[in-house]
Amino acid sequence: MAGLEIEAIENVGKGPVFEIEITPNRPDALSMLGLAREIGAITDRQVKFPKIKNIKTKALKNLVHIENKADCGRYIATLIKQVTIKPSPVEMMEKLSSMGLKPINNAVDITNFVLMETGQPLHAFDFDKLEGGRIEVRRARSGESIVTLDGVQRKLDPSILVIADAQKPVAIAGIMGGLGTEISTSTKNILLESAFFDMGLIRQACRTLGLRSDSSYRFERQVNIKGVETGANRATDLLLQLTQGQIAGRQEVSANIKTRFETVKVRLSDISSFLGGDVPLMRVKGWLTRLGFKVKAKGDILTVNAPDNRSDIHQDVDIIEEVSRMMGFDKLPVKLPIIKAVNIPVDKRPRQIKDKIRQILIAGGMDEIITLSMTNTKALQKSQMGDVQALRIFNPLTQDQELMRPGLLPSMLQVTLTNMNRGQKDLKLFEIGKRYFINGEKETLGLLLTGRRTRDWRYPSKDVVDIFDLKGLLEGFFKALGRSPVYKSVALPIFDPACSAEIDVNNVIMGTVGKIDHTVLNNWDLKGGDIYFAEVFLDKVYALPPQEQRYQPLCGFPAIVRDVSLAVKKEVAYQDIEKLCLSKGEGLLKSVHFIEQYLGNKIQPGYKGLVFSCQYQKIDRTLREEEVAKVHDQILQTLTAELKAILR
Amino acid sequence: VRVMKQHKPPLAVVVAGRVYRPDAVDASHSFMFHQIEGLLVDEKVQFSELKGLLTEFCKRFFGPGVVMRFRPHFFPFTEPSAEVDINASILGIQKKQWLEILGCGMVNPKVFQAVGYPKGQYQGLAFGLGWEGWPILNKAIMNIGFFLEMEGGFLNNF
Repeated sequence: MAGLEIEAIENVGKGPVFEIEITPNRPDALSMLGLAREIGAITDRQVKFPKIKNIKTKALKNLVHIENKADCGRYIATLIKQVTIKPSPVEMMEKLSSMGLKPINNAVDITNFVLMETGQPLHAFDFDKLEGGRIEVRRARSGESIVTLDGVQRKLDPSILVIADAQKPVAIAGIMGGLGTEISTSTKNILLESAFFDMGLIRQACRTLGLRSDSSYRFERQVNIKGVETGANRATDLLLQLTQGQIAGRQEVSANIKTRFETVKVRLSDISSFLGGDVPLMRVKGWLTRLGFKVKAKGDILTVNAPDNRSDIHQDVDIIEEVSRMMGFDKLPVKLPIIKAVNIPVDKRPRQIKDKIRQILIAGGMDEIITLSMTNTKALQKSQMGDVQALRIFNPLTQDQELMRPGLLPSMLQVTLTNMNRGQKDLKLFEIGKRYFINGEKETLGLLLTGRRTRDWRYPSKDVVDIFDLKGLLEGFFKALGRSPVYKSVALPIFDPACSAEIDVNNVIMGTVGKIDHTVLNNWDLKGGDIYFAEVFLDKVYALPPQEQRYQPLCGFPAIVRDVSLAVKKEVAYQDIEKLCLSKGEGLLKSVHFIEQYLGNKIQPGYKGLVFSCQYQKIDRTLREEEVAKVHDQILQTLTAELKAILR
Repeated sequence: VRVMKQHKPPLAVVVAGRVYRPDAVDASHSFMFHQIEGLLVDEKVQFSELKGLLTEFCKRFFGPGVVMRFRPHFFPFTEPSAEVDINASILGIQKKQWLEILGCGMVNPKVFQAVGYPKGQYQGLAFGLGWEGWPILNKAIMNIGFFLEMEGGFLNNF
């Protein structure tokens, strides 16, 4: 339990193969030897490294040239002549296969083998296929291209580093070699490459070309520059053995690359106090030394030098991590922190309002849903929202997610569609999510109703929801906020023109509500019944000043109730009738209560019938019949005169 | 980062919200999900306190019998970093396995440097979890895609 997690163990042929998750900070572990060092450190055992001969040979000139040493900090080119290319020994082929690598021929296999063994990427070129008998490490020029080993032709540009001969690129540096110079059974002479390329450049090229390899994986995470020589020597040694070639010489070009591995100073007392448990010096020294660190202790201060393959060590906390993982986290005590933080003032009202909304809507039988924040042009058009400006995502994952949604309707319709396709046609859904605009994100409540009003067996199943169900839910939570919304008939593209309104509180538009237009239903192929939808702009709701709710005392005096039955033109809003009555109530009319609406054949076409009751009551005395009758008559006359109502 | 820039330590913050990642979509990965993250910053914060906080949380959330472990891991913004696993037995799963539930660590001093805190003055601990992952881990929910489809049968569970 010291860091690298074993994901799987598979038995392949001669023994188990471990699949290990290497975290991005441990490029040193991307090889057999790297892992062996790590395991040796953890288990306190000596690692037997393969004997790698120090290759001494003629220093060649003019074999390799580097255009810019910032791109390539070190390049060792080894020339091996008179090779015999044939299949590798069985043992090597088995080892490569167990790693999931396909054996090809002895030279190529050796480059893969040494890559896996040491972590140093290598490449072998057919030397005779290199024009001019030399190579250059340079940026590709516009218009150049290369056919890589996988047979794909790739366009290159100056952001990509290539290995080129006198004429053209022969390899994409650090990623993949070219088909033209690949090692085949007819190869007689090999140029072996072992190099250090800039990690940013390689990562960029991988992205540009959409191409990755075992080599690029290691370069991206930084290869050990000192390992360039080790890798070259190991591969050369194996090539000489297995291809029976002769080494003709070597050229090394390197920049003065400063090793980034600074000396890190850390206090022993800091280690103990950071971790929360006492860590004795002897053990710290022991662990760090086993990991390959050099430790000098002077009093409380430790001066630590990281080994050259640990590019992730920079500061004292990195050393503390090494100590803590070797110690084992489970050895550390468990302690609760004492939190001295002062409360950051956060406006709790939005959360309280949202909680209230959820409470009311869930009690109303609705289900809360969460849908995607992204949408696309087609979805907006299908919802008749094509004119709404939506933020475009610069690099969307898929075409479906090209825009940030400016409204909740499309995603709620998508959920409706999914459900309907699976036979669920009765839906009461709400979502508290965000709409996204260029000037900010706005929290919004979306409500959607469709299908049967209830599944209760005592109620007729053909009883489906209508606009009043939706209105009722909206009234519910606005009432909880102490507000009575007013509805203004406004034509909106998403709604049926006969049922489309804005929700107003104190002349501020709080949202919209209506029946979804049938064109939208057709566009979405929604085969269920009518769909009712509302959007409430929560940012406006949060901005409402909190309404103090006052206790309404019960009235001790009796009320006189008068019912009114009339017919008005369909366009006349009930809320206007109510408003009119109350304005003419002269203080006697306490409240107006809606009873019912009917549209039967007793009502003339274009009109609707309404029944409501007027409740007259005073808090300080009993009302007399005559005074109520007088006011009531006045109200009826006003209704007839101003709203053209026909009393029934 | 915003909280650290706008307010002075000591800080104890928990944040929940939607996150987006360009991950390849499969049964347990999605491009949009939700995370809850926490951050504690003070002049002196210890790794043992991180252990303590998360241990207490797990005990309260899963029950006092929960068996958990801290495993070294890597995050660029914490050092040391760890992942917390709980033993599946607490969830009634017969198979003996460890389920990864949290990522955490001590805040990397480079983060403090980036938000402009004086060098060496503050320490911190941080943790995070993706909550869609939790029911998926105990195989109660088979596919993270269900969280985006919002089908009636799925919703009935909540």
